[in-house]
Amino acid sequence: MELMRASLDHCVKCTICETYCPVSNATQLFPGPKYVGPQAERFRIGDISPDASLDYCSGCGICTQVCPQGVKIAEINSQARSLLKETKGVRLRDKIIARPAVGGRLATPVAPVANWVLQNRPIRRVIERAIGIHRSAPLPRFAGRTFQRWARKHRGPAATKSVVYFHGCGANYFEPRLGEMTVGVLEHNGFEVIVPKQDCCGLPLQSNGLFDAARGYVRRLAAALAPYARRGLPIVSSSTSCGLMLKREAREILEVEDDDLQVVSEHMYDICEFLMMLHDEGELKTDLGSLPLTVPYHAPCQQKGHGIGSPALDLFGLIPELKVVEQIAECCGIAGTYGVKKEKYGIAMDVGETLFQGVKAADPDVAACDSETCRWHIEHATGVRTVHPVELLHRAYALDLRAGASRG
Amino acid sequence: MQTIETDVLVIGGGATGAGVLRDAAMRGFKSVLVERTDLSMGTTGRFHGLLHSGGRYVVKDPEAAHECIVENVVLRKIAADCIEDTGGFFVTTPWDDPAYADKFHAACVQSGVPVQEVDPAEALRREPRLNPDISRVFEVPDAAIDSWKTVWSCVRSAQEYGAEVFNYHRVVGINRNGDKVVGARAINELSGEDVVFDAAFTINASGAWGAQIALMAGCEGITILPGKGIMIAMNHRLVNTVVNRCQMPTDGDIIVPIRTVSVIGTTDIRVDDPDELFITQDEVDRMLDDGEKLVPGFKQSRALRVWAGVRPLFKDDRASAVADTRDVSRSHALVDHQARDGVSGFLTITGGKFTSFRLMAEDTVSRMCEQLGVDVECRTHEEPLADSESGKFYWLGSRLVAREKNLHDEQAICECELVTKGRLINAIERRDTKDLDDIRRSLRLGMGPCQGGFCIYRATGILHGVQKLDGRAANASLHNFLQERWKGVHPILYGDQLRQARLDDWIFQGLLDVEHAPR
Amino acid sequence: MTFDCVVIGAGLAGMTAGVRIAEGGARVAVIAKGVGSLHLGGATIDVLGYAPEPVDSPRAALDDFIAANPDHPYARVGTNAVSGSIEWLRDHLPEIGFVGDLDANLQLPTAVGVAKPSAVVPRSMAAGDLRAGGDFVIVGLEPLKDFYPAYCADNLAVAPLTNGGSLRARAISIAPPVAGEADVSPLGLARRLGDPETRKEIIRTISNRLEPGETVGMPAVLGVDDSPAVWTDLSESLGTGVFEIPTLPPSVPGIRVFRKLLSLLRSAGGRLLVGPEVLGMEAEGGRVTAVKVDTSTRIVEYRAAEFLLASGGVSAGGIKLGSDWRFVESVLGLPVALAPEPGGERFLPDYFGEQPAARAGVAVDDALRAVDSEGNVIYENVRVAGATIAGSEPWREKSGNGIALATGLAAADEILESVKGGD
Repeated sequence: MELMRASLDHCVKCTICETYCPVSNATQLFPGPKYVGPQAERFRIGDISPDASLDYCSGCGICTQVCPQGVKIAEINSQARSLLKETKGVRLRDKIIARPAVGGRLATPVAPVANWVLQNRPIRRVIERAIGIHRSAPLPRFAGRTFQRWARKHRGPAATKSVVYFHGCGANYFEPRLGEMTVGVLEHNGFEVIVPKQDCCGLPLQSNGLFDAARGYVRRLAAALAPYARRGLPIVSSSTSCGLMLKREAREILEVEDDDLQVVSEHMYDICEFLMMLHDEGELKTDLGSLPLTVPYHAPCQQKGHGIGSPALDLFGLIPELKVVEQIAECCGIAGTYGVKKEKYGIAMDVGETLFQGVKAADPDVAACDSETCRWHIEHATGVRTVHPVELLHRAYALDLRAGASRG
Repeated sequence: MQTIETDVLVIGGGATGAGVLRDAAMRGFKSVLVERTDLSMGTTGRFHGLLHSGGRYVVKDPEAAHECIVENVVLRKIAADCIEDTGGFFVTTPWDDPAYADKFHAACVQSGVPVQEVDPAEALRREPRLNPDISRVFEVPDAAIDSWKTVWSCVRSAQEYGAEVFNYHRVVGINRNGDKVVGARAINELSGEDVVFDAAFTINASGAWGAQIALMAGCEGITILPGKGIMIAMNHRLVNTVVNRCQMPTDGDIIVPIRTVSVIGTTDIRVDDPDELFITQDEVDRMLDDGEKLVPGFKQSRALRVWAGVRPLFKDDRASAVADTRDVSRSHALVDHQARDGVSGFLTITGGKFTSFRLMAEDTVSRMCEQLGVDVECRTHEEPLADSESGKFYWLGSRLVAREKNLHDEQAICECELVTKGRLINAIERRDTKDLDDIRRSLRLGMGPCQGGFCIYRATGILHGVQKLDGRAANASLHNFLQERWKGVHPILYGDQLRQARLDDWIFQGLLDVEHAPR
Repeated sequence: MTFDCVVIGAGLAGMTAGVRIAEGGARVAVIAKGVGSLHLGGATIDVLGYAPEPVDSPRAALDDFIAANPDHPYARVGTNAVSGSIEWLRDHLPEIGFVGDLDANLQLPTAVGVAKPSAVVPRSMAAGDLRAGGDFVIVGLEPLKDFYPAYCADNLAVAPLTNGGSLRARAISIAPPVAGEADVSPLGLARRLGDPETRKEIIRTISNRLEPGETVGMPAVLGVDDSPAVWTDLSESLGTGVFEIPTLPPSVPGIRVFRKLLSLLRSAGGRLLVGPEVLGMEAEGGRVTAVKVDTSTRIVEYRAAEFLLASGGVSAGGIKLGSDWRFVESVLGLPVALAPEPGGERFLPDYFGEQPAARAGVAVDDALRAVDSEGNVIYENVRVAGATIAGSEPWREKSGNGIALATGLAAADEILESVKGGD
């Protein structure tokens, strides 16, 4: 617990983190990152975190990004939350939503039924009363098939270079088509795409304070990916939040010290980051056709946490006629599993209000965002179809014709 | 000029004086205490807050060690609210003589100090910041005690028995009637008025200043050696257990977690005047190096402030010429002026350590009773102090829990130390003060990382309103706070704290322009 | 990643330089490990307030000041650059509506009620100029713990004015409708004032307690992005002068300026990257070729032809002092000038007196390039702007934003020339 905690020494109480915190700007229930982070941490001993208000932190990480002194505020909060959960216990709801892979495995074979249940309003009211998932929360639809299964059967073209694809639970159970498009774009650029057997990275468990379980998952995932990293292969992720988990959050927040995780982190790239690197080296295929669309783009908090700038915007710049409306709002509000919770859904909707207005005001054809839970939340709030930037590249490359028409 | 009549006059508002006041009041004497500044401003307010288990003395001074553990148990019983039960470790670092460890263990047993050897791996699990190269660890019942709170609780206890306290009253003379001391003359520093205290018995509990007071009574030749020690408060609790080096007491060998900070101490340098305290660069550097031995990374941690206190070490004729004041006995010295000087109605109590203040007071008041021919038992070890009735120890998280409850109803004025507006107003009214520094001591206002950068302007505005001050008086209080704070900050300014200080400069000078505020 | 220029630091110096460079047609990235000074310090452009006597006219005083302080950043850029930089800012931020110029300092009340000299201030503060004397009512908002109107008014009433005028000041405290919350942040209040209903309520309350001929002073929470509208509404509805008084951080007026500058930067094609820290650089043949940026799992090189270090000096960690008592420039490792030796005195006991270590920073030449102790340029393409430059005590002089603005823009001009010339 020490490295992050020790960074509290850098806090000069300047309040900058508080001015950027999307949650404390939307609700008085959350006293703000300065309070729950470096300030309260001086009052916490060992195994107890007595302040329940900290649970309103959404874990977006913006505070750490804007802090001019290098305090690891979000990380301190996250660790304190896990202690809070140890003291107070974790709700059944949180244990369920923190394990999307489990839900995915169970529901995929019966997807139509599962989807019907989860979209049925009376049933949602019951679910809300029973376990506390808000009746209106944007729950994704199970695809009824997994991306892993498609990947096992898929044979790509011959290639001279390889890349490993970490697809995440989102693509696997809910958006396998996104996985197919990611593979398509990479293959189009001359890569053999290796899709190892893989499971959840543990991020939702971490966000819900279930650190031991999260460590188990991330270690297993690292073990699955490490052999490829050791061969020097890059690993790309189309889920920007899961990618960040492997890049640094698992090491900083969970304090997992693991050779496999270390080598995986060093080889981890967000898909847009990777494609822009190719472009910088002159190796990205530029046969991108026109897409005369108006597209508001939101960079999720976790994407900003990578510290790589906005490669998605740079990629969009290569697509002729594409009109991108960069959104300046900081956070969409969903923060992974945060916004589906009954007591937080309202906050999540308030947090995202500026973004939702911005998206609608752009009069868009489609919106773009790198993180799946953000996409579902934006779609839910605005009614605008929201896709991963890779999907627009896929379209611009005109790869659609080969990949088949149905979505998910 | 005012005259105040009392049975017992206590001079000195440190722990000893407060303890004597309480004891005397509880034994039925009308009692009055005078203190030249605020309570607890002398040695009592300037040490690291260790409630001794006695472990530090078991080898060198077993008597003192035994006295410590006995009083440790008593204070836990009567002053629980002032004490955080941190426990203590004695650790053998690569710089310590490994042979001392067994000696230490045996001596603890001998002196009655409960001791338990702990596997270093277990100690490191409990205290991850400790030096991983420690070879032996012993656990003892050290604890952290809030001296300020203890003194005030004693005083409130005494006030319940009818005692009175006169702060900011400086004694300028002791009155004698022939060979009998009959009281003292003092100046009320706030009003300038002279005050005479007529007392049947006067007790000099002024610690390091004891010789000066005794001299006023015509009792010459008392030597109290001021042994100066510096302490540094680090921004957060690097450890939650008191950590001592397992060796003979030396400089920088202890880190005490007290409230939200960890304090490292101390040094021991003979000075001439207990009021002339200076801090040298060398002392600071050595203290930081010492800290690094116990906690690797200490020198990259944030140091908040440094201060000096003096130990009053009474020179006993039995000791040989003294170079290192640490070797002078730690046990207290009760000077019976009747026997020594033929002066009755006067006792001087000095020396000792905070942990044994209650015992020092008991010895003193019992001797006084003897001389007055009064036979009343001491009960101070039985009755709990104000707020300690429940017997529950202080818990660090309590301010956080309290703040959680009033998040929406109260403003946090000092955010670092979670002091709310209500508490601040309460403290200003209760102490009826116009000085922010008085408030600082009781509430820890401005004692957190920002060292007042954000809260002192707020507190000044509130003080101005509550006390109906004019602008100048409020400005003077603000200025005074900034100067006082700077004294403790500027010798230790590096790293994070320098950044903070510079931000505070931008706020107070660049933004508020306080130096041009009229005073 | 390759740019024409990389600016390190997103305070006033970094952001204005970034905008200028981007508008000049060069590709610029502003990289900052966090957001900067504008969020804290406020939006008044203090050029020179005390030298050490109170300064009436910066324009008149600057030449003498520069002569007396040859190591000062103003000595590097000159009075014209200072004056020009103010005009640039005024032109670029019409919504802020900066008032004033180098000819005469205004005297604006601080939250403590001291009459502080400022050369150029946002329109929303200008009515607070004390030089003409007058009657003032200082209005506090109860949930705002960062402002004490009675204390402010008490001091204001006895504030010595440079032209010897007189003023009267009194205080009132009102309770804005904020749903019973006791502790609201300045930014939170500023947003709430953006709501017309809330504002109407506040206007009504003040109006009832306003006396004829009074100018109204309020804490600086009059709106955020909608700020001119909020201030205008208050002024017009109350029918009198209304002004904002800056108080403790966060600085809402400063945030307004930052957001406008960010918008200008983006419109001009510049980039702002907040979060990753610059950890060092690559150099070759007397030029820096790239800076190394820590992007959470690997170092990424940002290559550029020109670099501007606007890292904020000591308070932002651009200049650090270790426990070994050595000052270092923490980003590029440039030598630190005017820094006491490890054994020497750094700080003296009088808090308000001169502090030996106060002026430590990186020395620069007249083109704002970093120089060593002999005055030799260290890297041809590395310049410094803002608080990281050695030689000033801006919190005492009241010169912080003036220095940041003048040196930021001067550096930007030098950089543009270099980039264009180098093509």
